[in-house]
Amino acid sequence: MMIAYFTAVLLGVLIFPSTARLFERWDAVRLRWVTSLRTDWLTHPMLWMNLLASRWTIRALRWGTILALVVVRRWRHLWVYVSSIVAVELIAYQTSIQMARPRPFGVTILAGWNGFSMPSRPLAGLSVSLMGVAYALIPHGRVRNRAKWAIALVLLAVAFARLYLAVDQPTSAAFGAIFGVAVGLVAFRWFCPNDVFPVTYKRGKAAHLDVGGRRGQAIIAAVHDQVGVDITEIKPVGLEGSGGSTPLRLRISADERGPERYLFAKLYAKNHVRADRWYKLGRSILYGALEDETPFGTVRRFVEYEDYALRLLRDHGIAVPEPYGVVEITPEREYMIVMEFFEGAVEIGESEIDDTVIDEGLLLIRNLWQAGLAHRDVKPANLMVQGGHLRLIDVFFVQVRPSPWRQAVDLANMMMVLALRSDPEHVWERALALFTEDELAEAFAATRGIASPSQLRANLKEDGRGILERFRELAPARPPIAIQRWSVRRIALTIAVVLAAVLFLAFLVGNWAVFA
Amino acid sequence: MRRFVAIAMVSLTVIALPGCASNTSRVPACTHPDDSLFQLMAQSVPSATKLPCLTEVPAGWIFSGTQMRDGLSRFWLDSGVVGVRTVEVDLAARCDVSGAVPAPPAPDEAGTRVFISPSSLEPTLATDRFVVFGGGCVTYRFRLPPGTPPALLLQGEEALSFLPRAVVVKEVHDDFGLVLCGAGAPACTD
Repeated sequence: MMIAYFTAVLLGVLIFPSTARLFERWDAVRLRWVTSLRTDWLTHPMLWMNLLASRWTIRALRWGTILALVVVRRWRHLWVYVSSIVAVELIAYQTSIQMARPRPFGVTILAGWNGFSMPSRPLAGLSVSLMGVAYALIPHGRVRNRAKWAIALVLLAVAFARLYLAVDQPTSAAFGAIFGVAVGLVAFRWFCPNDVFPVTYKRGKAAHLDVGGRRGQAIIAAVHDQVGVDITEIKPVGLEGSGGSTPLRLRISADERGPERYLFAKLYAKNHVRADRWYKLGRSILYGALEDETPFGTVRRFVEYEDYALRLLRDHGIAVPEPYGVVEITPEREYMIVMEFFEGAVEIGESEIDDTVIDEGLLLIRNLWQAGLAHRDVKPANLMVQGGHLRLIDVFFVQVRPSPWRQAVDLANMMMVLALRSDPEHVWERALALFTEDELAEAFAATRGIASPSQLRANLKEDGRGILERFRELAPARPPIAIQRWSVRRIALTIAVVLAAVLFLAFLVGNWAVFA
Repeated sequence: MRRFVAIAMVSLTVIALPGCASNTSRVPACTHPDDSLFQLMAQSVPSATKLPCLTEVPAGWIFSGTQMRDGLSRFWLDSGVVGVRTVEVDLAARCDVSGAVPAPPAPDEAGTRVFISPSSLEPTLATDRFVVFGGGCVTYRFRLPPGTPPALLLQGEEALSFLPRAVVVKEVHDDFGLVLCGAGAPACTD
């Protein structure tokens, strides 16, 4: 609203110069009233107050915020913070050039200034920086509300000081302050909405949503209405192994269907759709059309697909959780998929494994191959051991009719997971019962770099035994299978991204040259 | 690592932004005393009774930019033949003319005192010309590579002239009914 108002004023002044006269006279009357308050004892504090909008204060504020965001590894907030500052600085600068408004007339200017006055660039810079602090560093709620009031008071005080010193006109000061606040506010609300990217100082990944407060209430109500069970507790679980959703353990109260028990759920929101899009774009550029890199269009498609994958795998006899259906939390924004919770199960990485588990793991891959499926995310966090038997979870990446390359990679990843808790020689020996030497050789020739999930790569590195290398020694010699795939689309995407980066840099450098 | 480098680069840009000077490529043309650029220039040195301006941008020269802040106004021209910032013009309340020698004022510099600093020939032909007048001083800084034709220097000098501050004061009064504080204007609120 305020941005629309100021845009209208800006266009009005540029198109009809007589409007500028009107503003100038109106401002002069108000400014004269403010400067009539000048006294020797008040001028000094006003000069000090004006220092809050000095370049050094703003620099210190920005450095401090950026460093804090780096320390807490809040990259998205950092990016929005930096982008909103760049936007405000560039737009305010260009606007001041277009409007070319001198400093106030009729009163002696008592403080330093730089360039044209409309909008007030120091106030715009200070306000966007302060809004960034409030939205990127202070948790949502009472504290942030208080911070916003404090910011309003600071901006009012600095604006008053600048009017008192006659550095800015009232409309220039208001335009600058409101513009900075508006850009900061809109940037964070659009690109870092609090319900998706909450500012918290608890451990967790950016993809994980806060399931307390209103969202928690909404989950309880939606599960009651749509699944017909009552939740008594929502607890995030396995966050460290999950980056693409928020995994939850739901405690269900006793009912006619059974005693108190647990269900497992995965909560998806729009940010997961965006993350999936960027992830696939990045893969397309770095590796080409290795697999189907078409992103999901909506959150609904996410959960529909996972629900389908669970049912499909169960149809083929794979030990995955029983699906309970999809729950709509907020239409088109947030959905949750609910499924069986493997009670008493532990992640394979923390469990003792015997030949039964090893054989089940290898058989699981053989069954997937026969069903024409690939899991594509075989890693310790997705393999659970329950009562001495192997269970597979997180089927979001399942692909129907995958490439032979991907099927081979699934096998190699499974063998490496199993070897982490035993030894490569033993796993190799058991694998020969289900796979030929040629199939095993192909698996380890295909597995390199991103073919293995990052958790598995990290575990292998930590293990230090050189499990992958040992498997390659055991396998018949076979040249590595290249994972780079070149296509017109990949080249076009790469060029487009490089071009966009160059244009952005040129824009910055071009403006820098004008500044300097 | 790459992420940190990217963040560091963008952060440096952001941090540097509030320190950027305010430049514009609006030409301070002597024929347009109503341009708000002159009002800002007059505000930067309120005591100056004259304001530097350009009679025209000579062929082969490019008006490159201005920078105005309290205490100093500056604009500069590039030569399409010999390079960037060939002439830089500063308006300040005073300037240091020690070491410079007096010179006769040009016709459009009547009522001023002119000083020229000794030229250096290497590595560039550098000469400063100071025009001192009531409440202000304008410095022309010429920086030309050796072998530059003297005509180019003359072209630059001829393009530079002065606008009486009183003209700008009158423009502000006529346009807005307001006072452009400083020399040649009624007293302002202190």
